[in-house]
Amino acid sequence: MAHPTAPRRPQRLTVVLAQWCPHCVPLSQDHARRLAARLKVPLRILDIDRRGEVRLADRIVREHGDASPDYLIPQVFLEWSDGAIDHLFTGFSEQTARTDRAWRDLFASAWLKALLRPRAS
Amino acid sequence: MTRAGTLSLPLVRALRASEGRCYRHCDQGVRARTAATPLPGVFQVLACPSGVVSVAMYSEWSRRDASRSVAAFLRTRTRPASLVRATDLRLATRHGPELGPRAERLLERDPRRRPVRVVYWRVYPFQDAKGVDQRLFVCHRRAHTSPLFYAAPSEGGERACPGCAARAPRSSGARRRTAPQRARPS
Repeated sequence: MAHPTAPRRPQRLTVVLAQWCPHCVPLSQDHARRLAARLKVPLRILDIDRRGEVRLADRIVREHGDASPDYLIPQVFLEWSDGAIDHLFTGFSEQTARTDRAWRDLFASAWLKALLRPRAS
Repeated sequence: MTRAGTLSLPLVRALRASEGRCYRHCDQGVRARTAATPLPGVFQVLACPSGVVSVAMYSEWSRRDASRSVAAFLRTRTRPASLVRATDLRLATRHGPELGPRAERLLERDPRRRPVRVVYWRVYPFQDAKGVDQRLFVCHRRAHTSPLFYAAPSEGGERACPGCAARAPRSSGARRRTAPQRARPS
């Protein structure tokens, strides 16, 4: 993932999840909510079991994420002011503790620190 | 010089499979074992002491989706090969920030901006034609050049490795005996 250099700003955080997935709810839903608050952007949740949301979830995963015939969840995407969408995170297909650790590493990352650093305009 | 896709040591460490509890089978812990493959990345199998596989994972420092290569490799190591289905292979991209500071620095400095891509293989428990619950087992015995995967009933499946059975010597009465095997040291 490239460190931000262009004068673009995060616009929205999207998380693709399912209620039955322990890596998703509450684990990643809570972390994503916290990340959205840190970035000062709205959080959009796309539930793959909801008819109105699954098409959009499939599309964002297919076009920007980790697409597989039966893709992994959760997947998290960051949308930018210039219209770009970056895949940010995919859950680990191991213990939920591993997905939790990855979220914690993300919060402590140089990438996030750089993103949150105030920039001279 | 290293092959394209080879993981450096900090990445191998960052991607080491987490050892927890056996997935939907028993209360035993699972152990991660690295296995040799013809692929450039690292292949790990998480299995309990009975040999029931929780998940197998292949990690490669590359942009490519290695699912097809992984499936092709797994088909050579799985009995029957039809157990390897595209729907059970799932891709994950690791960009760096979620892998800890060392791995993040390494990926950030990569001039080619490659992420690490991981292919997970998880076969959920299923019933055979007779309605018997089957699970995916792995045999790491020395008789195999790399792990052998097979489906067997939950109980006693660790004794049903088709590779070991094929190599077992036959007695004069044509009764198949189990060959003495030693577990491969980690």
